[in-house]
Amino acid sequence: MYDEPYRWIEAVANRRQYLDDQFIHGSPLVGISCAQGVLLLTFNRGTEKIYEIYDRIALGGMGHPADLEKLRFTLLDMAHVEGFQRSPSDVTASRLLKNGLAPVIKPAFEEIMRAPYIVKILLVELGTSQDRDHLFTMDYDGMFAEQREFGVLSASSSSGDRLSAEWKSFGVVASLSSALEIGLRLWGVASLLQDSSTSPEVKIEEKDKPSSTSPSETPEEAEVTTRIREMLANETLECVLLDRESGKMETYRSLGQSDLQPLIPTEFQPAT
Amino acid sequence: MGQQGDFLQVLGEQGYDVERVFSSHKVDALHASGMVTTGTTVLAMKYRDGVLVAGDRRATAGNVVMYDRTDKVLELDRYSILAIAGVPATAFEMARILEHSFKYYRRSQLQDLSFEGKLRALSTLLKNNAPAALSGTGTVVPIFAGYDLHDTCGKIFFYDILGAEFEAVEYAVSGSGSSTIRGIMFYLNRWSQRTMVELDEEEALTLVLRLMTSAAEFDSATGGIDTQAQLYPIVKGISAEGVRSIPVERLSQLFSEKVVNHV
Repeated sequence: MYDEPYRWIEAVANRRQYLDDQFIHGSPLVGISCAQGVLLLTFNRGTEKIYEIYDRIALGGMGHPADLEKLRFTLLDMAHVEGFQRSPSDVTASRLLKNGLAPVIKPAFEEIMRAPYIVKILLVELGTSQDRDHLFTMDYDGMFAEQREFGVLSASSSSGDRLSAEWKSFGVVASLSSALEIGLRLWGVASLLQDSSTSPEVKIEEKDKPSSTSPSETPEEAEVTTRIREMLANETLECVLLDRESGKMETYRSLGQSDLQPLIPTEFQPAT
Repeated sequence: MGQQGDFLQVLGEQGYDVERVFSSHKVDALHASGMVTTGTTVLAMKYRDGVLVAGDRRATAGNVVMYDRTDKVLELDRYSILAIAGVPATAFEMARILEHSFKYYRRSQLQDLSFEGKLRALSTLLKNNAPAALSGTGTVVPIFAGYDLHDTCGKIFFYDILGAEFEAVEYAVSGSGSSTIRGIMFYLNRWSQRTMVELDEEEALTLVLRLMTSAAEFDSATGGIDTQAQLYPIVKGISAEGVRSIPVERLSQLFSEKVVNHV
């Protein structure tokens, strides 16, 4: 029944709608390149979303844990076989993404009778210097893009400009603590935009004023701070650093509560 | 896919033939004609703060010195070391497989492979290698040393060429130069006023340098210390903090103070 072009297009459109709905309650995920390395962060409710793939490569994901797990193994297998048979420096995020993930995710999305992967992926690679860091995002339809300086996964696809503005307003990301601060801010903005783009009230408002460029939707600084403070109090901050200064082949380091506590800006700390 | 974290299985699916790599070759003549590179002294000993593992730098083929800067003390992961004696081609391949197996297991299963699991992995490789070991072209007799995070102590294991595994209580040696120092270690440990595990790091390192020098004295296939060429054994320490290399400067200083000029 999907062999007619129109039906197929319609089915793909329905599938997009279905997939978009799957992410609205998910937690955004942020990756930032800074002097000390590449920082990845998100909030989780028990299921990890950030994983080590290879010596200098890490994966962050949004979506269904079982799908993420399947793709994680695809990446792990490919990376380790390549690293063993050639050399660890031949394992690059770009090749893993383009030759490993894309050919798996895109057909699953387009073949209407198959279940799609409910995932959005951020794949990061630590370079020898900051300008050689690579951050790639991949959507559920296999569309991938290389990001400059930072990458964000979020349910709302239209939040790019607002996040770039937030990034520019922050200034220089010199230290790990400033990377964590901007990371949390980006997470907060993405999370609030995600809420506003999916809440029914806002949608009605948009219909009433189709010409508005929706500046009213943009979350205020104070709102972002409040959101982050709430999250820090109630959920687990998952944070990973690919550490350029580790001095080892393996650079993946999970930052625990004791590492994070001194780095989190006081404005986000719960009022005592 | 290696859902069980078995890297060899993943390699197999990609067409890597473990059986072929470690199987016997009918080329005994090669060994006789001295084309197979062997000859070594490696040792591991427990001391007050953990375990020290050392290896000389020489690779020989028959009576030819192939290379004088070989690294036979290989760090497999943060907590384990493989010190290799035997045919380097096979030994290095084993080390590479183990290193990737441990990494793959940890990353895919999200937990470290247990100390016993690591020992098992090495035993399996040695058992698969038995035909090559018996034919003389792939003999590997390693020492495995590591820190057992579960039992919170350093441990040393040694092997025969067929893969039988033995735990060393205090020390282990392997390679062509090992028979010389094995006797010395036995004697020192039994009749010295202090056993080896009571030595502090400086004393233990000094002992290691003296042992390696003794091995080189009597075994032509073991490389000695060459101060002019800054050539010292590779020495690594294992403790609860993991593996660390002992810098050449430290060895050089101890050698000149406690080994050469010691009365």
